[in-house]
Amino acid sequence: MKPISLSQGSGGRQSQRLVSAILEATGETPDFPLEDCAFLEKGLAMTIDGYTVSPLSFPGGHIGKLAVCGTLNDLACRGARPLFLALGVIAEEGFDEDELLGYLGDAAGICRQIGVRIVTGDTKVVPKGQLDRLVLTTAGIGKSSLPKTLGIQSIRAGDSLLLTGPIGLHGATIAALRYGLESEGLASDCAPLWETIEGILDFDGLRAIRDCTRGGLATVLCEWAESSGLGMEIEEAAVCVPAPVASVCDLLGFDPFHLACEGCMLIAVSPEETEPVLDRLRQSKYGEFASRIGIVTEKHPRWVTLNTRFGGSRILDMPVGEILPRIC
Amino acid sequence: MCLAVPHVLVEITGPCTAIGRAGTIEVEIRTDLLEGARPGDRVLVHAGFAIEKLQPEEATEIEALWEEIRALSGTRQNG
Amino acid sequence: MGERTRERVLAAAAALERLADRPLKFMEVCGTHTVSVYRSGLRSLFPEGLSLVSGPGCPVCVTAQEEIDSLIRLSAMEKVIVATYGDMLRVPGSSTSLAEARSSGASVRIVLSAAEALALAMDTPNRIVVFAGVGFETTAPATAAVVLQAARQNVENFLVLNLHKTVPAVLETLASDPELALDGFLLPGHVSTILGLSPYLPIPEKYNLACVVAGFEPDQIMAGITLLALQKRSGVFSVQCAYREAVRPTGNPHARELLETVFEESDSNWRGLGLLPRSGLRFRSAYSAFDARIRLGISDVPAREPAGCRCGDVLAGRISPFGCPLFARACSPETPVGPCMVSSEGSCSAAYRYGRGEPS
Repeated sequence: MKPISLSQGSGGRQSQRLVSAILEATGETPDFPLEDCAFLEKGLAMTIDGYTVSPLSFPGGHIGKLAVCGTLNDLACRGARPLFLALGVIAEEGFDEDELLGYLGDAAGICRQIGVRIVTGDTKVVPKGQLDRLVLTTAGIGKSSLPKTLGIQSIRAGDSLLLTGPIGLHGATIAALRYGLESEGLASDCAPLWETIEGILDFDGLRAIRDCTRGGLATVLCEWAESSGLGMEIEEAAVCVPAPVASVCDLLGFDPFHLACEGCMLIAVSPEETEPVLDRLRQSKYGEFASRIGIVTEKHPRWVTLNTRFGGSRILDMPVGEILPRIC
Repeated sequence: MCLAVPHVLVEITGPCTAIGRAGTIEVEIRTDLLEGARPGDRVLVHAGFAIEKLQPEEATEIEALWEEIRALSGTRQNG
Repeated sequence: MGERTRERVLAAAAALERLADRPLKFMEVCGTHTVSVYRSGLRSLFPEGLSLVSGPGCPVCVTAQEEIDSLIRLSAMEKVIVATYGDMLRVPGSSTSLAEARSSGASVRIVLSAAEALALAMDTPNRIVVFAGVGFETTAPATAAVVLQAARQNVENFLVLNLHKTVPAVLETLASDPELALDGFLLPGHVSTILGLSPYLPIPEKYNLACVVAGFEPDQIMAGITLLALQKRSGVFSVQCAYREAVRPTGNPHARELLETVFEESDSNWRGLGLLPRSGLRFRSAYSAFDARIRLGISDVPAREPAGCRCGDVLAGRISPFGCPLFARACSPETPVGPCMVSSEGSCSAAYRYGRGEPS
């Protein structure tokens, strides 16, 4: 008996271990490095994600919005236009039907907005106590018409690293609710990012895009560094941490680089096309605050370094396990 | 050893409780460890308890320390 | 603000470059200093001659293995809910951690304050809430305050597993360690908020060591280290306070009074340092009804620290995390062997997360 711990579901390295163990058990050998969606053939892309969140509804979104945005963004980040979605609902006995329909109605609205059809689904109800209210699973299919593949293997030394928005908003929102803090002006950044991404897909110098979800910006950077064998060098001062996020981090002892975002992406782009891509992003719906936060370097392979606001430098690592509030 | 965050007392809500504000957050804190907490006080909060009233530091005293350090370093700030 | 801090940090770095013309070895006692030093990247600015070693200032790290085991045993007892600061959750005991115990069904709640633990007890009268009272003089007065409240309100299902420790005595142990050969202490800011400066006075007097109380911003830490280097250079040692905003010379007497109402000084078992005289707190008999050890009949069972783990030497500043053969090999934050790797302010964890690959 080896109980699976919460830490293994929190992003970061312990989650990676569980994923590796599952891959081994299934005998599948997927293409490495692991990305958020897989390409099948002729540009067809597929992904799946399960969603649980407590509380189910929060400023800036709810589980339904999260479930469609997350899956659609996983397709979009690899340059695949999201087309079809499958939706699985598992509800706990006694859960309010109207609440469920409200979440799903909003979710469908987001799909319509970007031309995605929900084409199949499944519903299950489990006895009370066997599930925390509601779990949604969404699988998405998309199609890329790009001549190349966006992803970690395209990243080169010298590339610029762009961030499309402020960090930590989703994670801080959920943490604040969970620990009973009210932070003024704090709301999840949960958003469908396809239109923002579509606007920059014509740039040849575009290398890779990843939305900074579970585990935050630090996790994406570390995964890119470890999978590409290159170093990432980040300027702390260029990364925007909104005041409400900073307040939550101060009180709970969190690192904003570890907090989930649901509407913010890291983008690697060639140095030549950095400025035009930034210009385009800044005109887009969710890219108003896009900025260049660092570069890809050969200097320290597989490591992410952060040049701090105080003139020093340090290693940036993934969070380990569940992010816990601390007093020390 | 001990994370502590400055809060401003917004409202005294009981003999040992107050609402404190830190950045954008307002939160209930305990004031048992202080004597005579008043709205407007800046306090240092550790693990939900105010542990001290912060006193405004003498800006000139701090600046004098930094001038001494700059003198040692051979760097001088202009202005 | 950020620009001013940066200018100050760099000025202090340049000053230290000059002051460290001979080797200087200081200890930052407080784990929050440890983390702040790493997170702000200050180590990359230190001159070669300056070494800053981490001390026993992480309350989670210095909690003895036996004490962690007792806490985990309590969490497995029927009707018991363990309420704890998040810091304690992943600390490995002899065979498991609270986090693992929780995965296997134990009732463990994370609280942000001792007051929350008491509120939990009042909300769940059919359960026994055991609060893991960990921390130094900064944290212990809050535990005392809720014990007093529980006594006033006759809350009988609120107990404390008292793991509190106190700082001054252990500093003398370290100051007199010839192997350590320190030049001075960067003293903990928030412990001093409660204690004031007088408990530290014997250190410069008896041991000729520099002492500076510092705040936690990068420029405050750099100022503190520079003042330590200046004391060393002048050969005149004293307890200086560079954190006057939060530390009065007399500390917070009211908080100490509450602390001393509920607890009294006792010897205490520190990880790696063993039993140290006058370095802990125990319940006064008038409040023993709140002592989880007495009420639930728990006593610490001698435990062996994990093989090869050198947390004790790290805590005593005898080796740096990098000097432990398990560091970043068998021991990492995902598979911690000792508590210094698990607590976010543990020096091994800080070194692992922020310090590997440093130019030093």
